Amino acid sequence: MPEDRKTLSVSPGAAPASDSLLQAARRTAVVAAVLAAILSTLMTAHYLQTRSADPLKSQALARLMLQLRDNPEDAALKEQIRALDLLARRAYFLNQWQIRTGSFLLFAFLLVFLASMKIIHSRRLALPDLGREPGGGSYWEEKLLARRYLLLLGTGLGLVAVALGLVSESELKKYGSLSARREPAGPPGATAGPDPVASPKQAASAFPGLEALQQNWPGFRGPDGNGVAYAAGVPAEWDGRSSKNILWKVPVPLPGKNSPVVWGSRLFLSGADKKSEVVFCFDRESGKILWQSELKDIPGAPAEPPRISEDTGYAAPTLAVDGRFVCAVFSTGNVGCFDMDGKRIWARNLGIPDNHYGHASSPLIFEDLLLVPFDQNSGGRLVALRVGDGSPAYEKRREVQISWASPILARTPARPELVLSANPLVAAYDPRTGEELWQVKCMSGEVGPSPAYADGMVFAVNEYARLAAIRLGAKAEMAWEYLEDLSSVSSLLATRDYVFNVASYGAVSCFQAKTGERHWIHDFPNGVYSSPVLAGGLVYMIDINGITHIFKADKTFQPVRSNELGEKTFTVPAFMPGRIYIRAESNLYGIGEKSS
Amino acid sequence: MLKGYSYMFPSARTGAALAILCWLGGAWAAWAQIKERFPKPDFQSGYIRPDLQTPAPRSMAWEMADIAVLAAALAAATYLAHRTRSRRSIFLLMIFSLLYFGFFREGCVCPVGSVQNVFLALFTPGYAVPFTVIAFFLLPLAFALLFGRTFCAAVCPLGMMQDVVILKPVRIPGRLADILGAIPYIYLTLTLLFAATGATFLTCRLDPFVGFFRFGATFPLVLFGISMLVLGTVVARPYCRFLCPYGVLLDWMSKLSWRHVKITPGECNNCRLCEDSCPFGAIRTPVLESPPPVGRMEVRRLAMQFLLLPAVVLAAGWAGAELHLVLARMHPVVSLAEEVLAHDAGKSGEVSDPVKAYRASGKPLAELLSEADALQGRFRTGGWLAGGFLGLAFAWKRIHLLVRRKSPWYDLDRGACFSCGRCFSYCPYEKVRLGLIPPDAVPEPPENNNLNGKNHA
Amino acid sequence: MKELKTDSSSTRRNFLRSGLRLTAAAALCGTGAVLVRKASSQEMVWQLDPALCIQCERCATGCVLPQSAVKCVHSYSMCGYCDLCSGYLQPGARARDTGAESQLCPTGAIRRKFVEPPYFEYTIDEELCIGCGKCVKGCGAFGNGSLYLQVRHNLCENCNECSIARACPSQAWRRVPAHQPYLLRGDEGLRGKRDGKA
Repeated sequence: MPEDRKTLSVSPGAAPASDSLLQAARRTAVVAAVLAAILSTLMTAHYLQTRSADPLKSQALARLMLQLRDNPEDAALKEQIRALDLLARRAYFLNQWQIRTGSFLLFAFLLVFLASMKIIHSRRLALPDLGREPGGGSYWEEKLLARRYLLLLGTGLGLVAVALGLVSESELKKYGSLSARREPAGPPGATAGPDPVASPKQAASAFPGLEALQQNWPGFRGPDGNGVAYAAGVPAEWDGRSSKNILWKVPVPLPGKNSPVVWGSRLFLSGADKKSEVVFCFDRESGKILWQSELKDIPGAPAEPPRISEDTGYAAPTLAVDGRFVCAVFSTGNVGCFDMDGKRIWARNLGIPDNHYGHASSPLIFEDLLLVPFDQNSGGRLVALRVGDGSPAYEKRREVQISWASPILARTPARPELVLSANPLVAAYDPRTGEELWQVKCMSGEVGPSPAYADGMVFAVNEYARLAAIRLGAKAEMAWEYLEDLSSVSSLLATRDYVFNVASYGAVSCFQAKTGERHWIHDFPNGVYSSPVLAGGLVYMIDINGITHIFKADKTFQPVRSNELGEKTFTVPAFMPGRIYIRAESNLYGIGEKSS
Repeated sequence: MLKGYSYMFPSARTGAALAILCWLGGAWAAWAQIKERFPKPDFQSGYIRPDLQTPAPRSMAWEMADIAVLAAALAAATYLAHRTRSRRSIFLLMIFSLLYFGFFREGCVCPVGSVQNVFLALFTPGYAVPFTVIAFFLLPLAFALLFGRTFCAAVCPLGMMQDVVILKPVRIPGRLADILGAIPYIYLTLTLLFAATGATFLTCRLDPFVGFFRFGATFPLVLFGISMLVLGTVVARPYCRFLCPYGVLLDWMSKLSWRHVKITPGECNNCRLCEDSCPFGAIRTPVLESPPPVGRMEVRRLAMQFLLLPAVVLAAGWAGAELHLVLARMHPVVSLAEEVLAHDAGKSGEVSDPVKAYRASGKPLAELLSEADALQGRFRTGGWLAGGFLGLAFAWKRIHLLVRRKSPWYDLDRGACFSCGRCFSYCPYEKVRLGLIPPDAVPEPPENNNLNGKNHA
Repeated sequence: MKELKTDSSSTRRNFLRSGLRLTAAAALCGTGAVLVRKASSQEMVWQLDPALCIQCERCATGCVLPQSAVKCVHSYSMCGYCDLCSGYLQPGARARDTGAESQLCPTGAIRRKFVEPPYFEYTIDEELCIGCGKCVKGCGAFGNGSLYLQVRHNLCENCNECSIARACPSQAWRRVPAHQPYLLRGDEGLRGKRDGKA
């Protein structure tokens, strides 16, 4: 210490320190510092330890729980789980206590340490070294140096900012330019950008007319999804056991609850399991697989399919075909479009359907649009994609809960209407724009049956809700309702005069379409999940055991025949002139009169 | 009505039977939704449903009390610094503030953080800022404009936390202090940008001390806090001087303050006793050394600096705007949109929780993208402003360094001074004022300095 | 510049300083005025919207408190009092009992009490609840959704920026007025809204 400090006897502190106090303070400081250091080391170690092994996420416990699932009655295993669980909980709460107590203790030690250090340091004065040049001789130099460093710092920051800015790229910007190029006037993408596997400009030949649609079986429940077949000479008799009128029977390689669709000489269906999603094309004369195409490498597709009910499966939605394209939707939200020869045109993911049983609503092709119903737990949507390139045309939000029903197309005299049924609405949309045309609140529960349209009236049903008949016109209104023996799975079948409702336990009821009067009800022995189809004045209905019940679409119940297939069936057959195609649990059947 | 179901089809099984079957099967489904799957029971035994307890938040009365205590503490700090000039009293008030605002009130909202609420309110129409926050924002600034940074002297719990750990402060060389002093500007700019765009409250996220008040914080923050305190034993109040964003505003206000504390109650005779008394480097030693003569060069240089100012501001603004894509990622909506697109493009394998939540929300992508796009636009504008502001701050600081301050006495850098009162007791005139020494005992300045004369300010 | 202590320069400097001071004062007042126009006398507190919650379990770990201020709450008015409670029991649990192997809650914070056949009452022990939301997920998936997460305001520090809100993947967190600090479901929610308005 310089001499002159002593001469300047200015003491800002209190009385001179007694040595004993200083000594005590020193000792306390050392002890507190050591304790604090030990404690903080312990706490750090503790933190690292609990971070690597959270007692509440014990691996051992999880393993034991898995074992228990296999041997649910193992009492010893249960005891073991209970003991381990108790241990884990104790460890967790002890850990909480340790952290709390530890931090309080650490705080106390630090406080003591600080106080002692303060006492020690309060005895030391910070007086200037008067031997030194006052005022800092290098005042100007310091300033100039500071200026230089500031310039360097500022320039450096600016350069880093610019460099980062130039390097950084935003998915958003890329997407923006992409969608701007693709569709200059259209709205921005509804979901993911389509994946241009093939040229998006597929020569879009004109879409098929109504006549062509009616000559084929283009989607779930046939043309317009109404369950009415226009084919003539449909066979009425067959037997799977004796192979009578069974033209061919082939196994379908992958399971699926979707129904076959037909265009020309080709029959399409899809199958999926946890790993793959495949579209199959069969030759409908021989039953041979003409091509199969796996849907994979889709941007945004989940690595694993969502957890769904096995009874729905990963391929519940039926395909849609229009002679140019065949489109498939899967439980993963994947949508794929192929040409008639199996070449993938486009594929995209619409987001994993938030559906606790699994997505089941089938899409429908209308003119140049693929209409995908997407009513999920988290809200309803109707997604329209351009069938030629998968680009989004519109997306309509629907104020509905989840549903499994498929859309139908109601060709009213005024306009085509896309009708959807869900809780709580039956609603119709302009298929070209998605504009809502009307809605009637009449559904509830988890809606499965699809609606039906005939002669200016829309019919919708759900178990525990009602069978509702809605008369279209200036204003869509409920004309009548019926509350008993309602369908929960099977879709409605409507003609100008009659409505057929099939309860899932096998009770078929027939109503007068305009008044709602119930003509008859008949109990069939087995449950029914398939939907009835009208062909040549007869109603064809397959029960879950594969027995096709054929009865007249008439005011009284007049059974015609029952044909056994010998295999469980949950899908809707496809009807073509002289032919019926049935997808049973694992086989596909071609049925028709053998030309002998 | 239900016949034996050996098989469950997807659709339409209403109600309990299916739910239970699925449940037993272990099918683990979607997000929680309100669904009346099971009817409300009709109790026969006279059972009464318990009430759901909803404990109330801290009452409004406390918020009012906080404002009152803040105002009182500021007034007291000002009085103690200006009138009583007693470091001991200021220290006691400081301990009180630390206990009340720190450990009792546990931190939020503090004036330092309130800047963000204020900016969020100014730029977001939907956000109504509570009066408490306004009071916490304005009161310390108003006091600083009138009386200097008395808030920092004895009210701010973050400052107090560091003030009590000062043990052996070292002097930071002038150029280093000048450069470190630029950090708060950067921190403030980022804080304001993120607050105004609604991205995040950066200052709150990185607050090193609030964890001590609550006895709980994430481990990295505790580490940050501890290292700040350890550093604080030798570098006095490092957060206040070299990080605090609110300190920048207080600095401005205090520079222009109407009345500011002085080292000496009367005059300065350059006795040099206070020279090392300030641990914060806020005491400016006299500059008597004749500067190099002002030549044409210097004048030209100064003129150039002023002429270049707009260019610097523009360049910095451009740099800031260039950075907007990076900055915008701090906003959850923008990062979500990018994540969703990246996921769609098949770039990320695992579906992250935000993407899952987004997919479940059913919100159309177009809506999300247009929101994110608008936000990027805001960040672009914000980037221009932020960059420009930083450019201005740097350029102005450099001009300021070029200006030749010549001061013959020891005085305080009003912007940096915390009015903590440490230096008062070093001044012999203060001792005279307190009657501790007679006026003629004031020491003469040492021989070897050329700072003779007295300042009769 | 050459002569520091000339009267004119000192006056000029003082003039400049008071001018700037006035400007600063005006700026403060102006900001204050703008803010007051946007202000509300209400304090705001943090709450999570159960409708947006996806039970990601971050509420259990995101809080600044050692044990989260988010707890599971139970709207009794919505509860089905099921014996087979999907919020209480492990999926696939065979026995409907209180054994650790049957319980979903990792800390055993849900109490199950028999009321009358076939009903059981479920209550949350908040001392034990860590706010992970496992039970919420179960109840929402197959039950009525009467269990859900809420910030308990006797515990919440009401940080300026809630650290759970920051971590929330579904942006379910928002500031709500302090006089109506819960977003409840069922009759409890309706009652809360009525009280809030009154």
